[in-house]
Amino acid sequence: MLGCLFVGIAFGQQRAIRGQVRSQEDGAPLAGVSVTAQGTAVAVTTNEDGQYSINVDESVRALVFRYVGFQEQTVAIGSSNMINVTLQSDMSELEEVVVVAYGTQRSTTFTGSATTVGADQLEQRPITNAIDALAGAAPGVQTSSGSGQPGTAASIRVRGLGSINASNDPLYVVDGIPYSGTIESINAADIETVTVLKDASTAAMYGSRGANGVIMITTKKGKQGKTRLNVRALQGISNRGIPEYDRVDAYGYYPLMWEAYRNSLAYRGSNPLSLEEANKKASEDIFGLLAYNPFTVPNDAIVNENGVLNPAAQLKYNDLDWADPLTRTGQRGDYSMSVSGANDNTDYFFSLGYTDEEGFTKQSDFNRITGRLNMNSQIRPWFKTGLNVSGSTSKSNRANDGNSTGYANPFYFSRNMGPIYPVYAHDPATGEFLRDLNGDLIYDLGGLRELGLANRPAGASNGRHVVAETLYNLDRRNRNALAGRAYAEVKFLKDFTFQTSVGLDIANQQNEGYDNNIVGDGAPAGRARRTNYIYNSYNFNQILTYDRSFGKSHVNALLGHENYDYKYDYNYGFKQGIISEGNYELINFTTINSLTSYKRDYRLESYMARVNYDYDEKYLLSASWRTDGSSRFSPDSRWGTFWSFGAGWNLDREDFLQGASWINALKLRTSYGQLGNDALLDEDDNPLYYGYQSLYSIGINNAADPGFIQYQLSSDLVWESNTSFDVGVEFALFGSRLNGTVEYFHRKSDNLLFSVPLPITSGLLERWENVGSMYNEGIEFDINGDLVRNDAFRWNLRLNGTTFSNRITALPRGEIIDGTKRMTAGSGVYDFWLRDWHGVDPNTGAGTFVADNVDAAGVYELDGVMVTTDHNNAKFDYHGSAIPDLYGGITNEFRYKGFNLSVLLTYQLGGKVYDASYATLMNTGNYGAAWHADIENRWQQPGDVTDVPRVDVTSGFRSSAGAQSSRFLIDGSYLAFRNVTLGYTIPQSLLSKLTLTGATVYVSGENLAFFSKRKGMFVGQSFTGVTSNAYQPARLLTLGVNFNL
Amino acid sequence: MKRNNYIALGAATLLLGLSSCSKDYLNTTPTEYVNEQDVITDITKAKSVINGVHRIMYNQWEAQDQAGQGSININMDVMGDDLVHTAQGNGWFNASYQWTMHRNQTAGTVKFLYRFYYRIIANVNNVVNNLDNIVASEEEKEFLRGQALTYRAWSHFMLVQLFGERFDAGSANDGLGVPIVLSQSVEPIGRSTVAEVYTQINADLDAAIAAFEKGEERSVKSELNKNVAHGVKARVALTMQDWATAAEHAALAREGYDLMGESQYTAGFNDISNPEWIWGSHQVVDQTTYFYSFFAYMSANFNSTNIRSNPKAINSWLYDQMNDTDYRKQLWSPTGEGIPIPPNGSAFPYINKKFLSISSSSSVGDVVYMRASEMYLIEAEAKARLGQADAADVLLALVSERDPAYTRPAATGQALVEEIWVQRRIELWGEGFRFLDLKRTNSKLDRRNTNHQQALCEVMEVEPGDNRWQVLFPQDEINANDKIVQNP
Repeated sequence: MLGCLFVGIAFGQQRAIRGQVRSQEDGAPLAGVSVTAQGTAVAVTTNEDGQYSINVDESVRALVFRYVGFQEQTVAIGSSNMINVTLQSDMSELEEVVVVAYGTQRSTTFTGSATTVGADQLEQRPITNAIDALAGAAPGVQTSSGSGQPGTAASIRVRGLGSINASNDPLYVVDGIPYSGTIESINAADIETVTVLKDASTAAMYGSRGANGVIMITTKKGKQGKTRLNVRALQGISNRGIPEYDRVDAYGYYPLMWEAYRNSLAYRGSNPLSLEEANKKASEDIFGLLAYNPFTVPNDAIVNENGVLNPAAQLKYNDLDWADPLTRTGQRGDYSMSVSGANDNTDYFFSLGYTDEEGFTKQSDFNRITGRLNMNSQIRPWFKTGLNVSGSTSKSNRANDGNSTGYANPFYFSRNMGPIYPVYAHDPATGEFLRDLNGDLIYDLGGLRELGLANRPAGASNGRHVVAETLYNLDRRNRNALAGRAYAEVKFLKDFTFQTSVGLDIANQQNEGYDNNIVGDGAPAGRARRTNYIYNSYNFNQILTYDRSFGKSHVNALLGHENYDYKYDYNYGFKQGIISEGNYELINFTTINSLTSYKRDYRLESYMARVNYDYDEKYLLSASWRTDGSSRFSPDSRWGTFWSFGAGWNLDREDFLQGASWINALKLRTSYGQLGNDALLDEDDNPLYYGYQSLYSIGINNAADPGFIQYQLSSDLVWESNTSFDVGVEFALFGSRLNGTVEYFHRKSDNLLFSVPLPITSGLLERWENVGSMYNEGIEFDINGDLVRNDAFRWNLRLNGTTFSNRITALPRGEIIDGTKRMTAGSGVYDFWLRDWHGVDPNTGAGTFVADNVDAAGVYELDGVMVTTDHNNAKFDYHGSAIPDLYGGITNEFRYKGFNLSVLLTYQLGGKVYDASYATLMNTGNYGAAWHADIENRWQQPGDVTDVPRVDVTSGFRSSAGAQSSRFLIDGSYLAFRNVTLGYTIPQSLLSKLTLTGATVYVSGENLAFFSKRKGMFVGQSFTGVTSNAYQPARLLTLGVNFNL
Repeated sequence: MKRNNYIALGAATLLLGLSSCSKDYLNTTPTEYVNEQDVITDITKAKSVINGVHRIMYNQWEAQDQAGQGSININMDVMGDDLVHTAQGNGWFNASYQWTMHRNQTAGTVKFLYRFYYRIIANVNNVVNNLDNIVASEEEKEFLRGQALTYRAWSHFMLVQLFGERFDAGSANDGLGVPIVLSQSVEPIGRSTVAEVYTQINADLDAAIAAFEKGEERSVKSELNKNVAHGVKARVALTMQDWATAAEHAALAREGYDLMGESQYTAGFNDISNPEWIWGSHQVVDQTTYFYSFFAYMSANFNSTNIRSNPKAINSWLYDQMNDTDYRKQLWSPTGEGIPIPPNGSAFPYINKKFLSISSSSSVGDVVYMRASEMYLIEAEAKARLGQADAADVLLALVSERDPAYTRPAATGQALVEEIWVQRRIELWGEGFRFLDLKRTNSKLDRRNTNHQQALCEVMEVEPGDNRWQVLFPQDEINANDKIVQNP
């Protein structure tokens, strides 16, 4: 290699070339165009007037002009020292430069698969977390629907799922360095591009960390030209995006509960009553069982002996909707300003941002202040250095949706509260509001005996009150984050560059919690908790690159070393017994209930190499290699080696296609490689760093005596390996009016890191093992075309979609059953394994399942099938997969003069959902609990043919009919109006009077409409296809303005 | 220039190489765990594992009705006829009351019943099987061995009573019991016969008693000692209808433990220093028990929704069996008055104040697992079954302490046994015996003609021999252990 080095060191005569670059479309000067002396690293950029000046060696024959959004142009250097150029806009070249591992690469010579979302797609959307912009924007990327909790991000899966129990989350890289912070700490307005690297040849350079894909976030830099000031302000409101399920109202509820109780008397196993007796007894008892009478009729005359509600019944009070007092129209403000610019040697960008977002549920919000400084300086021709540092501080109140069926979960509680129970205390006789000494309304806690009120029954969350608890409790997260990246780059021997970078991600997060002393888990003492997390990570790398052209050949080689150290420090204190109201500091509580701390540490050391080669930008080859040592494995199996190959062919540069002028670009590419995964997760999906060891938990003390308890058993864990193959075609046709990519991918995972369920007799529930293999295989496409393109009007349609399947190919232990899923060789990870629901027996109204053991007691024949009403004897079977048949996004963009309208739809076709929230609402009768309106279709008398069993409060009947089964599966197809934005760019003629250089105003809406098979169903909140009582996405309506000075 | 460039290249290459870290850079150790290797070679750490087991006797597991043995005791009484639910409350333990919980193989409580004991077994196995590798005094090691083996025997005993067929001394007992686990294993283990399980239980108990003879004395009553081992042995023998052994070990078990008097009896059953407690859990305030404590469901006074809305009552028939001179009668109120219910609490007839938590805002309290009274009752029953004349004397020794007016029963034979059973039901109300006693004595569950309400309990009677006397094996175990045969 040293031999080659001598070649480049000859120095010749220099000449200066000047000129101006303009846009062909409107003749406007283009600032920031890259002007490169062909075959050298010598480059300058144009200033704000589009002018440039470059000193080139006499041997240089041509200048290359490159600018994002325009076609590249190469102009031969003639005798003149003045070269003026006009560049032609080119949509297909928008992604001219792709951000890749340890650098950037020109898209024409790139053999990998990547999708980029640019600042233009981000800046008009009212999103707090930039990751939300990936929904529907990139093929191969699956996002969960996101939560209404302000600030939180959707989860991301790239090309299926690489792992079953280890993490499937992609690696986040911010400004070239793996990022350990949370994306919510980054101001979306600071982001220039978000690039998803999907295939092996792009991700393998991150070795063990890239197996689930890589999301590269690049923040904005200053551009050549006059200093610019950009101001962006958005103001909007937030509301519930998905309506509540249809539920039975108070008038419907009483007769139905009467019937459920009546049936429990008439159909019970021992000494059943006759229907007549049962009717009579039901009319007598039903008030006592439900405990509340919201109607203007006597307690003993609510439902008559025919099961009919007293026609005189009118509601005495109407505060029966428990979601209502907690719901509001949230305000969202998002303001940022930035200053940027560059001179010949230094570019700079700094920004400030402020976001304040209220959720549509009270006590949920997000408030963030961010600042960033990004500066790069070419101090000497051979030495460049830069610093990009950002800080953020955020405060967020959190809605309590961590536990889907927790009493303090407002979504669970309000959804399942029977429709006859009021939020506020009322005089049971008159229905008048009761008031406290201050004249304020009193929350009905469901057991205010001292006010003469009844206990709500068990199904109506007796003794709990989610409105009071939500308002009185505190659950706040405060986070301060600092992210710094610095590098120094030395060029030497002409073709070599040595760069060393340090990245530091520090965050302190403090969670403050208080459970009030009036109602709920904290009552009657009141209790407070404080959790402090300190995250410290640094990433240090040294990269040596060699870049050189030999005639038409171009070689770029890289050699590097990197290490990464992540430290996590946890402290937790918990006290009860509040002393003075309103102060939630621990000092204000009397008794310590818990006080603990621990540290965790994760380290990684890596060496890597990469070679990219192209011949005349026509034939492309790349190869990479990386080895990682991870502290997550034992010294014997710690090091993993990862590699990839990629190849590409730009057919459009072949002579035989030169005649086909309708082809603007045509590239075939493929890649193959092996990556690894070490990201073990604990039972709460937090990273697990010591999974290979046999461990005992500390702190299981018996009063004052120190105690341990077995926590985990070791096994010989090795890296989970992920082998990816990818082949694709990229094209731009008809003057780049039609562009697209179609790709096939195949990802195979071996030695899966599996949390294998153990026989409970082992004393543990599971252990980590490397078990089995699986693959994901699919096709993704991304097509965009200008359906109409003329001077005044342009309509661009972009359609992307992904279809993939997932199959387990080997599972040495035979089968693993986990919740609603059963994994076995030949099945998919998200295949539903459920009791086989056979329907309702028309004779008895009982729910039946296909029987497993046909000889067991209680099995009988129904429609020629041996069935049972006992869910313990139900046969389990596969019932389709949660993976959609096809999913993706559709974007329509219309531009007319200064107006632009963009409509983003996301869709899913096929895929099953187990609607657990609906299943709870379809219980056969639970005193006090709400019902879905579909309960009206219940079986009522022999001969009724329906799929809804009879209502019956008998607990055994309820648990059988309500057992997890195929009964509650539903098609998950949906169509969502994810974003609609209408913008107007104010004409230059108006702006110049205001000394502005650009201004837009826009209105934007997120989650405007959602169409699915069942109203209220929140599809896609989890990849497993199971619904829970989670915070639903918010509908945001926003007015925005953006101007440049 | 040239030379500088070469120096730079050299320096860069050197930097790439040198910046790699020292060899142990990648060796990280956790701070919240200890390594198994340390646990099985160090006496202090092995002792800590036994302490950990003492703790999980009252720790919360997966849900708030899973507070170790205290919650299992609640289930055992809720499934019987002596403990009465007064309302639905907020739902906890309702399915057990209705006899559906233990017959629902996906119920979390079923998994808890099973997992609780096997987790104890796994932890004590790791201690007992590695004791020989540990350098320590014989007294220390034998004390640990005795505790480990007693725990293992007791756990298998509880499992076989719950999941296995009833032991019947007149038969071969070759029906299915539960898996016997004697060492760390992740392999599926099938069910041994009932007889095999009892053989192992007795072998462990005999070895435990021998070890305790050589071991050091315990320092707190949450640890096990030879009294506890004798007490478990007495329970096992009673269940096996081995009356002589039961009587012998019951007497040994209560050696050194005197009956408590009236003031202690009415003090809330929450203090391990009570002289007649042989074994219990001791809870301290900084290990608070929130809403999962035994007292969060059984006490009269803790301010939980469950206590406020569904205070636990005694079977009215059983209440009526007590003389007015019996101070135990003060623990229940036939009118519901005079019970220290929490604010906004509901009072119902026959609710109890036997159990009191230390305050209405804290569910902390010590939980009793074995006390001398039970040993009197075992001895009396065993001797009555054997026809020994002093059976009634043993009963009198206990009951006359509770009721000064109580006179020595004149009955003999089955009539005496039945009198002993009545006293046993009164004395041990709420302490976790009733379901197991009904199964042991092959009796019918009969809740009729009492204050049990059918709308709440749904099940009023269950005949002896019904399949429902066996708990179903949890679905998770069936999924992961293909050798398990489910109960009918």
